[in-house]
Amino acid sequence: MLVRRRLAGAVSVIALVAVTVPWVAGAAQAQGEKVLRAGITQDLDSLNPFITITRVGTDLTRLTYEYLTTYDPKDYRPVPGLAEKWETSPDKLTWTFTIRSGAKWSDGQPITAADPAFTLNKMMTDKAAATANGNFVQGWESVTAPDDRTLVIRTKQPRSTMLALDIPIVPKHVWEKVTDFKAEPPLPLVGSGPFIVQDYKASQFIKLKANKDYWRGAPKIDALDFVYYKNVDAEVQALQKGDIDLMSRLVPAQYDALKNDPNIKLNTGAGRRLNEILINPGAASADGNPIGNGNPALKDVQLRKAIALAIDSRTLVDKVWGGYAVEAAGYIPPGFAEFHWPEKRKFDPAEANKMLDEAGYVRGADGVRADKTGKPLRLRLLGHAGTNLDEQGSKYITSWLKDIGIAVEPQMVADQKVNDATTAGNFDLAFSGWSANPDPDYVLSLQTCASRPNADGKGATPDSFLCDPEYDALYAQQLAETDRAKRIEIVKKMQQVLADRASLVILGYDNPLEAYRADRWAPFTTQPSSGGVIMNQQGYWGYYSATPGRTTDADAPAEAQGGGGNTGLVIGLVGGGVVVVLAGVLAFARLRRRGTADERE
Amino acid sequence: MTSPVWARRRAAAGRVWREFAANRGGLVGVVVLGLFVLTAILAPLLISESSLDVTRATGQRLESPSGDFPLGTDENGLSVLTLTLWGTRLSLVVGLAAAVLSVLIGTTVGILAGHFGGWLSAVLLRFTDFFLIMPSLVLAIALSAVLEGGAGTIILAIGVVSWPTSARLVRAQTLAVEARPYIERARALGGGHGHVIFKHVLPSVLPLVFVNTTLAVGTAIVAESTLRFLGLGSTSEITWGGLLRSASSSGAITYGAWWYLLPPGIAIVLLVLAFTLVGRALETVLNPKLRERR
Repeated sequence: MLVRRRLAGAVSVIALVAVTVPWVAGAAQAQGEKVLRAGITQDLDSLNPFITITRVGTDLTRLTYEYLTTYDPKDYRPVPGLAEKWETSPDKLTWTFTIRSGAKWSDGQPITAADPAFTLNKMMTDKAAATANGNFVQGWESVTAPDDRTLVIRTKQPRSTMLALDIPIVPKHVWEKVTDFKAEPPLPLVGSGPFIVQDYKASQFIKLKANKDYWRGAPKIDALDFVYYKNVDAEVQALQKGDIDLMSRLVPAQYDALKNDPNIKLNTGAGRRLNEILINPGAASADGNPIGNGNPALKDVQLRKAIALAIDSRTLVDKVWGGYAVEAAGYIPPGFAEFHWPEKRKFDPAEANKMLDEAGYVRGADGVRADKTGKPLRLRLLGHAGTNLDEQGSKYITSWLKDIGIAVEPQMVADQKVNDATTAGNFDLAFSGWSANPDPDYVLSLQTCASRPNADGKGATPDSFLCDPEYDALYAQQLAETDRAKRIEIVKKMQQVLADRASLVILGYDNPLEAYRADRWAPFTTQPSSGGVIMNQQGYWGYYSATPGRTTDADAPAEAQGGGGNTGLVIGLVGGGVVVVLAGVLAFARLRRRGTADERE
Repeated sequence: MTSPVWARRRAAAGRVWREFAANRGGLVGVVVLGLFVLTAILAPLLISESSLDVTRATGQRLESPSGDFPLGTDENGLSVLTLTLWGTRLSLVVGLAAAVLSVLIGTTVGILAGHFGGWLSAVLLRFTDFFLIMPSLVLAIALSAVLEGGAGTIILAIGVVSWPTSARLVRAQTLAVEARPYIERARALGGGHGHVIFKHVLPSVLPLVFVNTTLAVGTAIVAESTLRFLGLGSTSEITWGGLLRSASSSGAITYGAWWYLLPPGIAIVLLVLAFTLVGRALETVLNPKLRERR
């Protein structure tokens, strides 16, 4: 399955000072306590494991809650998590998981089969609890726990995702008292993973404590802090100064500049994340009623296809991602080569223009085409403020679409606002993206009719609001197909269908760009072992492996070329940003105060 | 026109100019300001639209200054010099428009409150006080975030939050002017509200308003850049604050690309300085004049 996390950008609109070092409450650590501090810029949507879909939220969920099975750090093979072994009946309809004995919740209660049984039953019966991961329990018949160590899941048809259940298992004794599964859980959380969320302050910090009773063994550090930064350049400065130890999502210019820093170790790998532009094909709720305020002209598939043809992935890879990305092809990222459909997306503005001419979109005097009702084609393009792809990429997309006679107005807003708008269908074009899982079911499910939300835009996780009978039929087929080779064929076919319906345009797959302090930390475990990531894994291995020490040159990346960085100058320039903001504040204040000097008489 | 009125006005203007010219700071300000205005007017003639289009950029990402790109390139390979020159247009227009809007609101409220007094004055002043105590930057951010859109929104946001000072200033001046005997005489001769306001009060508060506007433009430009730097307004418009924001979000600081950050920053400083110098010079000139009239 794929993990869902909507491309969480950074910088909320009210980001006041771009280069402030965030204040961390209770930053004073006890003497000698070993803390890994990771920088982040993306907003957290929720700490509720049944709701969260952002990258940050999923990372926290994976750290706090052990899943039934998890993915091996070397090669993504399903390996034991809470379940120490499992077997399936010959008809592949009954799965029996044996729950590990002796494992404990962080409040000391033992973990039993009743906990997963409670969690899974809740997701099958309570719509709110199915918001984030409901796709996994579709088509299940029953979940029972005949004894403390046995969990039995019966499904109506065979399911290909039974060892890829990306579902956080929550403690029954805590959550059975909860009535509203949409609400935020009280802190600290009670969990079973290597680190447990203790405290959270929006846009300031998330604090996790090591779980000393963790069944794999206690982590080698005492705490894990996520420190919020308003933009990624401030985050890099903090890394260079040593305020944080680890960060991801560097932009190419920073990655190149950091190659010269002896104290910093860089890490990159193959892209496992798809970046896309959603084209609202006429959003509707789960019961088929139209919702949101998308431009109705986009219901025309010819128009959507023309838009897709006019967007050049090659240029985005070169210019926006600085070459640290792969050109757009199928919906499943090339990092998961088995399922990836390798046919490159075409860029042909002349063809796009021809299509639009033939479809009857006539250009007006100002070069903007009119839609079928005679209104000029003006589309909003929603993006995450502070996310480099969105901010920089929107300029290219605006220009390309202008070439085919479509006026685009980019709107960069806070992450949460993008999330809300895309979930409720309130967009024309929008930047989005998903980190894929080794099993493609999750990202595929996002485009089905069933993933459309209720009338309030809640209760499910839609992506492009595509609801296509052919696609849905194929989706059901791949889910029931237990022969891997056949399933791969179906998944590739689905990607072809998606490209043909053009309710989304793949922009490319960016390579993760990460950096950490080589003078303080031993090498982290990456997933997969070659070309893998440290943060945002399909698991907790990166954080769990954190060991104080150092990374030697032997581990350092081979390439040592790159743009120059000049610390003195840099500090001066950072100051510049602060000065502009301060000057603004002062100027406002002065404008008001001038009164006294001028009042004559 | 050679009527005595015009002759007198021309003489007054000449006197103002002579006194203004004696102030060296003011002269420098006027020259710098003239250069900026010239840049803004000539920019569309000198700069083709394709040199602002990211998809037609000829340079590499963050190239350092060279013969082809005197101030280097930005993250898209566009010339920073071109972008900075183009940015002059919006910064100037938005700064001026926001200042005029703010002073216009302020003057109207100030004159009404000063002239009519009584409960109207009380209501208007409490209204002014309300805006005065609001943290203006936060209010401006909130306004431009809610309204969405481009330069118009920014103008509105700055104008709406920065008028209370002018209102207070103009009200004080209005009270002072209306206390003079000639206003009493005008009233005794049957002059109505309109006559008093437009024939007597307005002309004598105008110099003050003019100076106030000139000084407000500088602050409005900084305010505009601040809002753009924070990501408000349309990102498809090229502005100095927007350039600084792009520089910051594309990693130019870590990269050490000083050529990307300094030009828009220095341009903001120079333009604001020019307006302030001119405003201060005008103030010293107009002050004694007001006193003469009294």
